[in-house]
Amino acid sequence: MTEASLIGKSMVRSDTVAKAAGQALYTADLKLPRMLVGKVLRSPHPHARILNIDTSRAERLRGVKAVITGRDGHGVKWGVFPYTQDHDMVPTDKVRYIGEEVAAVAAVDEETALEALSLIDVEYEPLPAVFTIEEALKEGAPLVHDQYKNNINVHVHIEVGDTQKAFKEADIVLEDTFEAAGEMYGMLEPYAVVAHYTPDGYLDIWMPNAGPHVRAKALSNLLKMPLNKIRVHHINSGGAFGGRSEISPGDFVTSLLAIKSGRPVKLVYTREETSIATRQVHDIVARIKTGARKDGTIIAKEFKVYYNGGAYSSTGPIATSIPFYVYEETYRLPNLVYDGYRILTNRPIRGMYRCHGRAFLAGNAMHMDKIAEELGMDPMDIRLKNGIRAGETTATGSKIISCGLQDAIKAAARKSGWKKKRGKLPPYRGIGMGCLAIMCGFPMGFRSGSSAYIRVNEDGDATIVSGVVDNGQGNESMMVQIAAHILGIPMDSVNLVCSDTEVTTHDPGAYSQAAAFVTGNAVRLAAEDARDKILTAAAQYMKVDKTRLALKDKMVYLKDDPEKAIKLTRAVRYAMSKGQHIQGYGTYIPKISFDREWVKNPYGQMAGTFSYGTSIAELEVDPETGIVRLLRMVVAHDCGNPINPMAVEGQLEGSVAMGGTATILEEHVWDGGLQLNSDFLEYKMPLSVDMPDIDTILVRSMDPEGPFGAKEGGLTISMSAYKAIANAFYDATGVWLKEFPYTPDRVLKALQAKEKGRR
Amino acid sequence: MNRIPITLLVNGEPYSLAVPPNKTLLEVLRDDLELMGTREGCGVGACGACTVLIDGVPARSCLTLAVDVQGLSITTIEGLAEGDELHPVQEAFVERHAIQCGYCSSGMILTAKALLDKKKRPTKDEIKRAISGNICRCTGYAKIEDAIATAAKKLATPSK
Ligand code: FES
Ligand code: FES
Repeated sequence: MTEASLIGKSMVRSDTVAKAAGQALYTADLKLPRMLVGKVLRSPHPHARILNIDTSRAERLRGVKAVITGRDGHGVKWGVFPYTQDHDMVPTDKVRYIGEEVAAVAAVDEETALEALSLIDVEYEPLPAVFTIEEALKEGAPLVHDQYKNNINVHVHIEVGDTQKAFKEADIVLEDTFEAAGEMYGMLEPYAVVAHYTPDGYLDIWMPNAGPHVRAKALSNLLKMPLNKIRVHHINSGGAFGGRSEISPGDFVTSLLAIKSGRPVKLVYTREETSIATRQVHDIVARIKTGARKDGTIIAKEFKVYYNGGAYSSTGPIATSIPFYVYEETYRLPNLVYDGYRILTNRPIRGMYRCHGRAFLAGNAMHMDKIAEELGMDPMDIRLKNGIRAGETTATGSKIISCGLQDAIKAAARKSGWKKKRGKLPPYRGIGMGCLAIMCGFPMGFRSGSSAYIRVNEDGDATIVSGVVDNGQGNESMMVQIAAHILGIPMDSVNLVCSDTEVTTHDPGAYSQAAAFVTGNAVRLAAEDARDKILTAAAQYMKVDKTRLALKDKMVYLKDDPEKAIKLTRAVRYAMSKGQHIQGYGTYIPKISFDREWVKNPYGQMAGTFSYGTSIAELEVDPETGIVRLLRMVVAHDCGNPINPMAVEGQLEGSVAMGGTATILEEHVWDGGLQLNSDFLEYKMPLSVDMPDIDTILVRSMDPEGPFGAKEGGLTISMSAYKAIANAFYDATGVWLKEFPYTPDRVLKALQAKEKGRR
Repeated sequence: MNRIPITLLVNGEPYSLAVPPNKTLLEVLRDDLELMGTREGCGVGACGACTVLIDGVPARSCLTLAVDVQGLSITTIEGLAEGDELHPVQEAFVERHAIQCGYCSSGMILTAKALLDKKKRPTKDEIKRAISGNICRCTGYAKIEDAIATAAKKLATPSK
């Protein structure tokens, strides 16, 4: 008998049979006895003082069981950090964007609820508003919040080396401004919440989320309820992409309605509400100055990056930092100054996004190609030259323990025919490259770690208890696969109980790329602990030394004499009869600097490890229509060691759509504070026919800390696909197009400007 | 609002109900018949999450009035499997990792089934075009297209 390995095999995901059968439940599918329908009244003004809210007419309507306003809350403001607590989930003083929550009702049916909304009288005093970064920063501009001077919500300042001196020494200095419009998250499932409160003070709640434990804690703060009386339940989630990380006003509103009515309440957002009143993506303006030596070494960088954050802080300090970090985790940067400003405006709230930072990251990629061109270097070689390697430390002090960047670059180049194509394709056809790294888990203080528990039953099957949450990326199945592998049992012998806050262990959640590396390690350790207990019992029973034993196919066998074996069930039952129940426990916390802080101390170890990736895009530009057509994307990602290769491929392909194809399609369009394309008819997301051919390559760097060498699986492509497209566009047209997305209007304008310049 | 008595034939079973004339098929399937596998993604006909088959043809149940489909045969995702036995298209979606969050899957699978009922060996292009009205935000479509091609092969090989 040889060791049975499930790791590295493309296994069927444990969650997909129910999904294929249409039997997987999402929040909007839940029905509870006497459940009411919740609806939210939203602000029609981008900025206005609330003078009075009169709900009496709505309350009198037959069938209305509860009406709430902000006055029903406890006046606690939400913020991810102590210094960003500025979000009154249902404001009582003023509204700050069109679509903000003002009041809510719960009624016996939808029609009644909608009618009740129309009976709520709100008196507003409209205030002058600011919508763009420039407007918000103007001297004397109206303030979105009094406490943020000049509407500067967050300022992240990072300084390393002597940048001014380095610029003087540089042979090439470039300076450009890049801009990108914000996108829609577009998770296919509209946001929904179900809440049920019982008079003994317990709140049961369901909603799609990327971190049940942090969600429960936020609710506990806002509702002033003990943490162990709030139970965020497991439910399938129809996508998150960074947009379901934080508590939503919908959670708070539904809870208040359930508490006030004494009945279960379901609130389902419309598509428009989902796009306006959950989260959307920051618009970004990035001024980038780059200095390089004649040999292509980047020696100086100066960044001024502005993020339009909308009306509240949200994950502001993180969002203002991440584009910079993923860049410094990719390349050696000896001298730099980064100033990131998150600016508040009277637009809806912006959050972290799977493809966050396109103006900044694509801008840096274009600079790298510009330098390569001036020096007559291959863009691939300049990346190989500046790319960080294992054993090195990033500018702000993160040690890199594994790095497949060089391999990813070379593998993608080989597969794409880079050498034959770059600079040699016919007019209006081009190829371009972009690289990226990503942290496997953000520093989240005491929340950075995960723990797991595994019980092996008398029938040889096992149950994992973990705080892991799955928004579609396959985290649940990954934990099942890890445990099954270690315990030598098939995946369908493992049940997973997860993301239920009253039952499961702590976990940082799924919004910081922590699942494989952090949660996976906790589950690995728990399974190893359980295995050790099984082997101890079997060794006693078989009267052999424990080190000679191993597990496979639900058997315990002697490694040196595989014919000698007992059934796993025999070992488990023997252990149980001795009072040694087979319960494994594992806990893992990545080695990060606990004294680092996003704003106050942005230095030190950011994450336990980092993934690396390279995207290569080949495209075609129609100079008549301005339409960009993506032909092929070759993407290589170093996920350490893929636990489930096909699942990782799926992440890469999804990343090509969201970070790649989206580069030519996606942006929110505005009239002041009014979002003009909040539904799926007006907002263009990639369809099957928009997609290029995709080649995925999995690079294996075998991380020394990751479970079986594994790291995060795919985000480097979400954030490098647009870099590749920007550079491919230049290769095709000779134009550095510095404004995203690459829609026909922008493309034509840029091509015409080039023509004019020529004449 | 006044209610109109109708009989719907869903997954081979007749259901008699009284519905307001403005109620969509999607609402009736979910609220009245509790067939939750039919999802709502946009409510305006743009995403295909609510796709069902009406007399074998994919249709957006969010744009279809329940009173208009009386007497027609409606298939929802719940009607594909035979007991615990998944339909070959469903099987292929599971095996080829065509499902991530799963929210688009019901609509995708039904659209794929309708295609394969019509065309035994669709080309890559035909597959792409058949699902071009169904949005998937997770997969980038590659594995979905692969699954449909796999399902075509499965259906072509007579089962033992
Ligand atoms: S819900 Fe019917 S097409 Fe989107
Ligand atoms: S799998 Fe999530 S939308 Fe398709």
